[in-house]
Amino acid sequence: MVKTESGRLQEHPIVDFKRGGEVTIYFNGQPIKAYEGETVAAALYAAGVRVFSRSFRWHRPRGFFCAIGKCSACMMEVDGIPNVRTCKVYVRDGMQVRTQSGLPDAEKDVFSILDDVIDKVFPHGSHYSKFTTSKRAREFMVKRMRKFTGFGNPPRAVFQGKAELEETETDVLVVGGGPGGMSAAINAGKYGAKVLLVDENAFLGGQLVKQTHRFFGSAKERAGTRGIRIAGILEEELNSIENVEVRKETRVFGIYNGEAGAYQRLDDENGKLLKIRAKKIVVATGAYERTLIFENNDLPGVYGAGGVQTLMNVYGIKPGDMGLIVGSGNVGLILTYQLMQAGVNVAAIVEAMPRIGGYFVHAAKVRRLGVPIYVRHTILKAKGRKSVEGAVIAKLDDKWQPIPGTEKEIKCDFICVAVGLSPTHELLYQAGCEMKFVPELGGIVPLRSRFNETSVKGLYVAGDVAGIEEATAAIMEGRVAGIHAAVTLGYGGEEAKKELEEAVKEIEEFRAGPFGERIVNGLKKCTLESEVVS
Amino acid sequence: MTIKIAVVGGGVAGLSAAYFLAKNGAEVNVFEQKYLLYGASGRNSGGLTAQFRNEALIKLALRSLELYNKLQSETGFNFLLRRDGYVKIANEEMANVLEEEVEIQRGAGVNVKIVDPDFVKSLFPDINVNAFSIASYFADGGVVFPWPVVWGLAKGCRELGVNVYDYTPVKVEVKGNEVVGVKANDELHKADYVINAAGAWSNEISRQAGIELNNKVFKEEICVTESLKPYLDPYILDVSTNVYISQSMRGEIVGGIVGSETTDINVKSSLDFLTNYAKRVVELVPKLRGMSILRQWAGVYDLEKDGLPVIGPTKVKGFIQLNGFGRNGMSTAPAAGEALAEYILKGRSKILESLI
Repeated sequence: MVKTESGRLQEHPIVDFKRGGEVTIYFNGQPIKAYEGETVAAALYAAGVRVFSRSFRWHRPRGFFCAIGKCSACMMEVDGIPNVRTCKVYVRDGMQVRTQSGLPDAEKDVFSILDDVIDKVFPHGSHYSKFTTSKRAREFMVKRMRKFTGFGNPPRAVFQGKAELEETETDVLVVGGGPGGMSAAINAGKYGAKVLLVDENAFLGGQLVKQTHRFFGSAKERAGTRGIRIAGILEEELNSIENVEVRKETRVFGIYNGEAGAYQRLDDENGKLLKIRAKKIVVATGAYERTLIFENNDLPGVYGAGGVQTLMNVYGIKPGDMGLIVGSGNVGLILTYQLMQAGVNVAAIVEAMPRIGGYFVHAAKVRRLGVPIYVRHTILKAKGRKSVEGAVIAKLDDKWQPIPGTEKEIKCDFICVAVGLSPTHELLYQAGCEMKFVPELGGIVPLRSRFNETSVKGLYVAGDVAGIEEATAAIMEGRVAGIHAAVTLGYGGEEAKKELEEAVKEIEEFRAGPFGERIVNGLKKCTLESEVVS
Repeated sequence: MTIKIAVVGGGVAGLSAAYFLAKNGAEVNVFEQKYLLYGASGRNSGGLTAQFRNEALIKLALRSLELYNKLQSETGFNFLLRRDGYVKIANEEMANVLEEEVEIQRGAGVNVKIVDPDFVKSLFPDINVNAFSIASYFADGGVVFPWPVVWGLAKGCRELGVNVYDYTPVKVEVKGNEVVGVKANDELHKADYVINAAGAWSNEISRQAGIELNNKVFKEEICVTESLKPYLDPYILDVSTNVYISQSMRGEIVGGIVGSETTDINVKSSLDFLTNYAKRVVELVPKLRGMSILRQWAGVYDLEKDGLPVIGPTKVKGFIQLNGFGRNGMSTAPAAGEALAEYILKGRSKILESLI
């Protein structure tokens, strides 16, 4: 049903892949066929490249991992410029791509021997305490050490891109164009506030673009609609509001006293450094995927579920032939189904809890496809030297310890870890928000009012960055934050104030069900006293 | 009877003084208000030089360079120090300033020389020789990683029986015209001498003893790029634009702009620094265009009006100043700590004669 060619999906029952013109890029000197619109990392993956870089200290292989510019595992030298995240750069005919930090390259790195010996000779931190008494030994060690440190090659070329400074002002700046951010922009904009929404990607929708399945939840919040369509609907609504400006490929790198710094990519050669003065800022930066601790969990081929979804659903590239899914929450179950849909086999789903985490309908669908779900099991290790060649799983006892003798080997060439998300909270820390560890919300989250305003006045949060929930909740939170930002700037009058109360009530009702209990308990730990909106 | 000493401030100055005092038999407590490395000693770029305009300062710097060898051996700690040279560069307008100060430095016994841009290019091929016209090169200078310096000194201190208290703000206690000690967490730590090595917070500590210090406070910002294979050996400071760069052991290009006076002690980073630095540094090293910035941060330090450190006794008996090192504490404070220890225990110190 699904045809593939050189690692790429040709037909897909739901997604229609529109590939650009064919180009040739050079990887460590070897020509590789790619298509315009693909990122370098995706094109390399499709060509079968699995080792993308080597780790800093142990020189262990690093592969394609997050696919969204966060993990740094795919950094390479591109046209003489070092430390380029290849998952964020699009292929161009004739592009020269080289791996870094391996001799002669990342694949064949002779320093990979360090992985076996360095901890015996130089345990972590011992560079401060070994060979220190004699001046000569010390200076010799510093010189030697310096040979091994460093990551990218020194730049071989002068970066030709041009960037100009643009200073701009807005009422509301929204950082992140996922469901939460788009909803905040729409709801602040519709009452007349001047809104600027920025997103680091070339498209809006955030992680919705990977969601090829239908949504559950309230009918009002588009249940029954596929995630990718919801992104489109929100974007249309956004574009229909005149006072909302959208800038894509614009990455906010810091918030300094109400002024945001951002870099906007215009094309391969041109960009803009933006200084954005904003009266209110809504941070809707989403989340990233957690991983699990097991032997070889850093091996290329161990992915976050999102990374695999990006590969498959955005670029139409097969992650492998046989997958093992760790985690039976909705993400793990849906991913399994999506993989099968794309013609990729799934060997099993492993779940540490005594029962399946996700919705019954998803689990039933997966079972019908014949994928075994092992509850009360965990992954012990990934096997393979440069990429995943298999995995060992085992049954857990009541104390979550693996039971000896229950180990089972699973044949697979990739492993998806779908064990939840953590908020992408760096901007909030940097901006000075008071933060707190709240396990129910997925990690370290900002204290916030019931209108989603943080301890930094005028700085709001919406969506997963405020606590891991789901797209529907993100849209509701965005509505609350957006309206509150507009109202406190004097927009919208009585009507807006009324809607604000409704919006707060709507999200409280949404969380009143059994699935919301955990979230409500989490929120109790990080809610600030709210100021009365007058 | 053992002399009891309370050192306020766990930076390079305070810890050096504590180390040499304890080594010579004093009973020492060090009080750091936050964590070790919170102050300028943990936030600076690690440049080591003796290219100063004042002879006393130059002597402290030369002695400090010797001490770094001794301290690493004695404490069994590697400070990751590299003597790959310290280069000051300048444009035509500032050329005579460099030439003048090289005269002073050579007179004070510093192995420094005026070199041309091509010489600097031989040290660092990526530098733009058109961005400056002259340089002064100090071959014995270099870069140290400030963190192990502080860790190593603290380790050395502890091994000598010094208590190093972190997260312990103190209040200086004075009775009549004499220090009694310091109060921390409502507990009085009696001391014959209280050493004010609180860096940017020295004015405040001094005020507690009833002495107006009036050091100026400066804020300086630094950022690092993502890691590159080591290829920039010397520390380079452009005195015309105030931009400086070096490369850390991890491979990051560490760069900043020499600090400016501030009235408000805070360590918040700014966007203006980032844009100003980026603009200036790519003129100096065009190939740094397009590099990603990994981190930025800020630090504060104090400086007395004429640019010399404030070292020595005050009109309150037992209250001793050891501050005002400006942005050169890494270069001069170890020797200042050693000299102050000598001064307290023996009543005199040759190297401090012109400073006290």
